[in-house]
Amino acid sequence: MAGVLGTSIKRREDPALITGRGKYTDDLKVEGMAHAAIVRSPYAHARIRGIDASAAEALPGVLAVLTARDVAAAGIPGVVPVGWLLPDLKTPAHPMIAADTVRHVGDAVAVVVAEDRYIARDAADRVAVDYEPLDAVADVVAALEERAPAVHDEAPGNVAFDWEIGDREAVDAAFAQAASTVELDLRNNRLIPHAIEPRAVLASYDSSTGEMTIHMTSQNPHVHRLLMTLASLGMPEHKVRIVAPEVGGGVGSKIHHYADEAIVGLCSMKLDRPVKWTATRTETNLTDAHGRDHSTHCALALDADGRITGLKVETAAAMGAYLSTFAPAVPTYLYGTLMSGQYDIPAIHCHVIGVFTHTAPVDAYRGAGRPEATFVVERLMHLAGEATGLGPIEVRKRNFVPADAFPYQTQVALAYDSGNYGPAMDRALEMIGYDDVRGEQASRRSNGGRQIGIGFSSYIEACGLAPSAVVGSLGAQAGQWESADVRVHPTASVTVYTGSSSHGQGHETTFSQIVADRLGIAPEAVEVIHGDTDLVQFGMGTYGSRSAAVGGSAIARSVDKIIEKGKKIAAHLLEASAEDIEYEDGNFRVAGSPDRALGLGDVALQAYLAHNYPDDLEPGLSATSFYDPSNFTYPFGTHVCVVEVDTETGGIELLRYAAVDDVGNVINPMIVDGQLHGGLAQGIGQALWENAVYDDSGQLVTGSLMDYALPKIHNLIQFELDRTTTPCPHNPLGVKGVGEAGAIASPPAVVNAVVDALAPFGVTHIDMPLTPEKVWRAVNA
Amino acid sequence: MKITGSHTFAVPRSIVWEAILDPEVLSRTLPGCEDMAPVGENQFRGKLKMKVGPVQGVFEGGVELLDLDPPNGYSLKMDGKGAPGFVNGTGSLRLEDADDGGTLLHYDIDARVGGRIAAVGQRLLDSSAKVLTRQGLQGLEAQLETRAASAAATETPATSQTAFAGRFAAGLARELWPYFAGGALVVLAIIAISLRACS
Repeated sequence: MAGVLGTSIKRREDPALITGRGKYTDDLKVEGMAHAAIVRSPYAHARIRGIDASAAEALPGVLAVLTARDVAAAGIPGVVPVGWLLPDLKTPAHPMIAADTVRHVGDAVAVVVAEDRYIARDAADRVAVDYEPLDAVADVVAALEERAPAVHDEAPGNVAFDWEIGDREAVDAAFAQAASTVELDLRNNRLIPHAIEPRAVLASYDSSTGEMTIHMTSQNPHVHRLLMTLASLGMPEHKVRIVAPEVGGGVGSKIHHYADEAIVGLCSMKLDRPVKWTATRTETNLTDAHGRDHSTHCALALDADGRITGLKVETAAAMGAYLSTFAPAVPTYLYGTLMSGQYDIPAIHCHVIGVFTHTAPVDAYRGAGRPEATFVVERLMHLAGEATGLGPIEVRKRNFVPADAFPYQTQVALAYDSGNYGPAMDRALEMIGYDDVRGEQASRRSNGGRQIGIGFSSYIEACGLAPSAVVGSLGAQAGQWESADVRVHPTASVTVYTGSSSHGQGHETTFSQIVADRLGIAPEAVEVIHGDTDLVQFGMGTYGSRSAAVGGSAIARSVDKIIEKGKKIAAHLLEASAEDIEYEDGNFRVAGSPDRALGLGDVALQAYLAHNYPDDLEPGLSATSFYDPSNFTYPFGTHVCVVEVDTETGGIELLRYAAVDDVGNVINPMIVDGQLHGGLAQGIGQALWENAVYDDSGQLVTGSLMDYALPKIHNLIQFELDRTTTPCPHNPLGVKGVGEAGAIASPPAVVNAVVDALAPFGVTHIDMPLTPEKVWRAVNA
Repeated sequence: MKITGSHTFAVPRSIVWEAILDPEVLSRTLPGCEDMAPVGENQFRGKLKMKVGPVQGVFEGGVELLDLDPPNGYSLKMDGKGAPGFVNGTGSLRLEDADDGGTLLHYDIDARVGGRIAAVGQRLLDSSAKVLTRQGLQGLEAQLETRAASAAATETPATSQTAFAGRFAAGLARELWPYFAGGALVVLAIIAISLRACS
């Protein structure tokens, strides 16, 4: 149907969700369902001397207490695997239930199953674990010190991997000849994802069939099934069905395979009845994979004209106590490869050490590596603007990859397929009224009082995770394609089975728009099925801003195959040659004879009746595609933030936030804006408020929403959004992805603005989050 | 978490000393304390049952008083663990004569908490512990003064100060249970605050 693409159709998901009729995992109730509570270590590092469950078992209503001994007795693999490997990666075992050593607060040591969740929780409190506390290290830098307590014997010095990309010698030469250099030591603060819905699982094993159905909070049910069966429960894959019902957000945290879901699966097998577990908010804070947590030294070399000649980056990236599913890929393939930003940089070197610490694991969280890279590059560009005297705009423009230089091969593996960076910045300057804001800043500076600052972030991201050819060339032993099965029913309505499992993004709406546009039918005639391994062929899931670019492209390919098949059927019915059939607005027509035409419905019906088909034509009208993109997509944009800083109190107020993003073709502008709003809230949250804090004994002291400061609606302002459009040249839709852009671009925009406001006080950097105390101390240093 | 401070009592040092040493005082001053019993010289073990709002739990733990230097002070070691987590503390109490016959108590406690009580509301612990400590000490001070005054009115002047202190401590144990008298109690008070923060 013409005009359906690029239209803000209201989300078809919302009526159920906003009237409380959405069914999330914790809403599900099945006959005979028992409840699990997991006993967790209160120590960051301890040896388990013994576990006495007798008091728990004695509580009426308790069905079982399982420990590592039961995992061993079950004869299952019983581990939580890492899904991405790097060369020389240390992969110490991560047992589902800790057997003899716990390595972070929250590590599972036992599980109680009871008739209701209250009994289960009470009984869990009665499981007596005898711990011998050991020294712990929670800080990524302290963990690398010589006498730091070891997290794993298999990883000397707590080093999980030592990875580099780029040309160190070329960078050293650039610095030796530089006209000016800037450098920075920074910490990228550890974040806790905070999906609105905590993780939950309902596992139902049936010994009479040997089948298990697991309903769970998953961004990628097939990947969870693979890891769950292969490494944790040791069940045949075809006997396990994983269903992701409504999923209340994930922002990365529900990509990963966790011990808890496997433990609940084991409980169900052991008891031969359904078992449910839903995390408390404190449990999610202790056990959801966290994000970021880098310590970085970085430097930029420039020539006399202010052109960048070299960039070097040294990063220690926390992995936490165990390697989570995608953890090693995040500070490497999704970080080091992004260091060229929007700039033509002739020499880059990035060296990353992955570090074990006695904390919750660290893995992909909205942006995953790319916010950390953007922060490095854009903070350095701010400093370069100051050092060269060119200012933040000119230093960027002078170094942008020119619009006529695409495709552009960076020095860090990625080849940018397209881009046009200047217009996005110009539009952002126009929206913010740059000269007026600078004028106001000058007047505040001379008159005193609250200071104004303007911060820029010209970001690039690599979306559409992850083309196997590109990541394979970097040493990854996996690629991430997506599948789509599109079925046209005899009456010409359509069901799409997609491997992109939605957890709030609105896939059902946007994917129906893609099909409606391509097939020339109404979006209401398209149903979208996702999140069920028994219904969907296979899928990689939703993360890394990949659903439209990869999942959507797979759907487009299947629709194209259906049109080709329909042409053959139409040709047979119209007694014409298939080459002469054209498809437009839902009709198959013979070229040059507009009267000889059949609607999609006529063709679909005949496809299923099929009583007089020629031998070379199969009945049916459906097509499956597995789409492996040839490259990442490269969204970009410029964000400008204006802040007011109270130099007396250190308080910061957001005044303006303008974002110009180029995400390629837009399927549904309202959904794109919504993704940007959410991402901006998270990125601004990282810059100003959010911080996951462990004390020096490895206790998480931000285990609740009293202590971990998420942004609230009243902390934020109305974002000013606009777009430029540079379609992706290598996928059928020309889309690039938008899920992470806000979270990637905004932290350096905010920090650059605050530092700009405080320039008269000699402030050049403050580590996130920019709390009033830190700002005040910087002003008064 | 560090809890450090001082407080002046308007009664002589020996009276304060007896009060902060008496196991019965130690036991009875703690709400929820069960089975507190001496297990060795200056060592006590017991259970502390806490129910604050929806959160409840039992801590098992002990207090050991070390380096007793009557009537100048002692060091202490304290540990407790239970379903809500664990708490370990070390510290010292020092007494010295204040002007006009009173006593100056210095307390210096270093406590570590872990598990659920650390993850939830730890940032409230510091300030809440300080407030509760101050309130406890002020309450104790008021009671000490009342008791000292009434004792002085009924006893003959010949009664030794030590005998008075003994009787005083017994009275304290009977009647003054809500008030925290010393460092060990302050450490255990932290647990109560933590639980309140959990709720």
